[in-house]
Amino acid sequence: MVREGGFPPGTGAMLGRTALIPSSLSHYVKRPERRSKPGSVHKDDKEKNSRDNEPGDAAMRKLYLGVDVGSVSTNLVLMDGSGTVVADVYLLTRGRPIQAIQEGIRLLAAQGWDDAQVAGAGTTGSGRLLAGVIVGADVIKNEITAHAVAALEMVPDVRTVLEIGGQDSKIIIIRDGVVVDFAMNTVCAAGTGSFLDRQAARLNIPIEEFGALALKSNSPVRIAGRCAVFAESDMIHKQQVGYPVEDIVRGLCEALVRNYLNNVAKGKEILPPVVFQGGVACNVGMKRAFEEALGVEVMVPPYATVMGAIGAAILAKEATGATGRTRFRGFQVASVRYDTESFECEHCPNGCEIVCIKMEGQLLARWGSRCGRWDTVPEEQPVRREASG
Amino acid sequence: MRIGIPRGLLYYEYFPLWKCFFEELSAEVIVSGPTTKRILDRGVQTAVDEACLPVKVFYGHAAELGDCVDFLFVPRVVSVEPRAYTCPKFLGLPDMLRASMVLPRLLSPTVNMRRNRRQLLAAVRQVAAELGAGPVKTWRAWRRAVAAYRRFKEFLRQGYGFEDAVSLALGQNRHLARQAPPARDLTVAVLGHPYLVYDQLVGMNLIQRLRSEGVRVLTADSFTPAEIEAKVRNLPKALFWTYEKQVLGAALACLDRNVDGIIQYVSFGCGPDSMIGELIQRWVRRKRDIPFTLLTVDEHTGQAGILTRVEAFLDMVARKKARSA
Repeated sequence: MVREGGFPPGTGAMLGRTALIPSSLSHYVKRPERRSKPGSVHKDDKEKNSRDNEPGDAAMRKLYLGVDVGSVSTNLVLMDGSGTVVADVYLLTRGRPIQAIQEGIRLLAAQGWDDAQVAGAGTTGSGRLLAGVIVGADVIKNEITAHAVAALEMVPDVRTVLEIGGQDSKIIIIRDGVVVDFAMNTVCAAGTGSFLDRQAARLNIPIEEFGALALKSNSPVRIAGRCAVFAESDMIHKQQVGYPVEDIVRGLCEALVRNYLNNVAKGKEILPPVVFQGGVACNVGMKRAFEEALGVEVMVPPYATVMGAIGAAILAKEATGATGRTRFRGFQVASVRYDTESFECEHCPNGCEIVCIKMEGQLLARWGSRCGRWDTVPEEQPVRREASG
Repeated sequence: MRIGIPRGLLYYEYFPLWKCFFEELSAEVIVSGPTTKRILDRGVQTAVDEACLPVKVFYGHAAELGDCVDFLFVPRVVSVEPRAYTCPKFLGLPDMLRASMVLPRLLSPTVNMRRNRRQLLAAVRQVAAELGAGPVKTWRAWRRAVAAYRRFKEFLRQGYGFEDAVSLALGQNRHLARQAPPARDLTVAVLGHPYLVYDQLVGMNLIQRLRSEGVRVLTADSFTPAEIEAKVRNLPKALFWTYEKQVLGAALACLDRNVDGIIQYVSFGCGPDSMIGELIQRWVRRKRDIPFTLLTVDEHTGQAGILTRVEAFLDMVARKKARSA
């Protein structure tokens, strides 16, 4: 497939990637199908030989774990100290973030990474607090900072980051290596991954082929992209009138890009290099639509789908750099029993819903109140081992 | 005689004035409690659909006070200075309330100073007469109320929180200590209507959160009226919404102070703010490149989304400042 050729030769990244994904899960995995300039965006250099990314050798190296728990997908990466991704996992959250995190850790462990020395762990995404408590994170960061950090690592001179995930989309403006502006979608999730998934399912096209289908079209139809509900009825109308599916699909991609540029990116100065990341970045139709609308080349970095996790891993490296200690609980978290309970606080009419996270029956963390009455700060975890030892 | 004041909208602008005035007239002032989810839910149920969040919150507070008061004080504030208006929703507030719920007797003077500042005194006399107070008592009460209001604004300007400024202005809790000096050399302005940023529920404790992060926080109340007036005078066209003018003027004044970032806090569906936000962004970009972000809340807004944006904004401001230092 295209993806094999997409990686720069000799990076060895594929060894980690392919080996990691059991066949039962392979359909969860979305990969970039086409890349603009692989050599220019991938940090790996030729000296790194593929054996570096085999678990056996990695036992000697310090690795950093990044976990990004989003509304739709949960991603984990293991990165070494030089910024090379040695393993990555892309799973669907399916509304059960704890199970998804544990499954991800289990997949990493199943590949022999459980012997590796994890010197730091970071979490991000909307489930970052939960993930932080479960894996024992050294840093818990918002997804905007994590995505910016990862983009800067992959493309050091990046000036614009377009990120479209499962249920949110953001734009990050970077100048001279510093984030100077950002925006996230507000109330509307039109144009995010969930909507594309749904439309692909409705048209009976596998989401992986959605983008390629869009590229086949020569005359896209115009679809109202301002609102997901209107876009859908517009699509149905166009389809009933008889337009070919590929024209509708490409029209949809263009509509979503238009919506993104008018909404999220409104008033922002989009300068190249432009990096497009997040789950939707795998959709070549969206990439092409962005390039046409912006008139500049749009780069989709390798690991575009797991950039948040990469950012979390980089931040974990920064956070543990000074102390050399990590709170990471180790790969056994995959087999520990976590329970959650919730109750409604009756102390005031706010009626906050309090969530308790328990590990093997013991209270690990509790949050959810506005006033902070029930919050327990996750206790300082016993340091598992010296990162240097 | 018990006068109920709903804790919403202009409460956050004039409460010490009203409280002092009514108490000087020997009335008892009852304020609804801080906004809770229950109050918000009540407001959402009773208010018209199209109303903005703060109006819905106001409905909830009015319903909360219900029949435990003799009068409900809901002034019709049309204009508080010559040639300018307030938000159109303030103009119709007493009617909107009356149309959708059973209320105690409304104490609803019309304040319209668009042509003439002295109209305010007519409104004051009208209220006092309704409460049965004579002219001398009224005059004395009004002078004291205005003094309390000035103190209140001064305490806000010095950086006291809203609750502290209220109690200081009214002569309670005089022992309150000044805010501890911020731990970080970072100043962020939180600009928005007082009824959004000072409200316990709607404001998401944004100001306190930033302070606990060690950030020095400015609000629109941190600037003197003269400072704000001087800034908006330079605009190509006079702005005729008083409260929006304060927000925009404060944003422009931030450009002269050492402010590292500006957060504008608006409610979804606010007509005037949709324009002001645009103006602020343009002027901020044109004059100096200060990071700016717009946070929009409505009744469906979860804390998580707001906190993510605030956290990312602080990261950005701090990293940018560290880089340029």
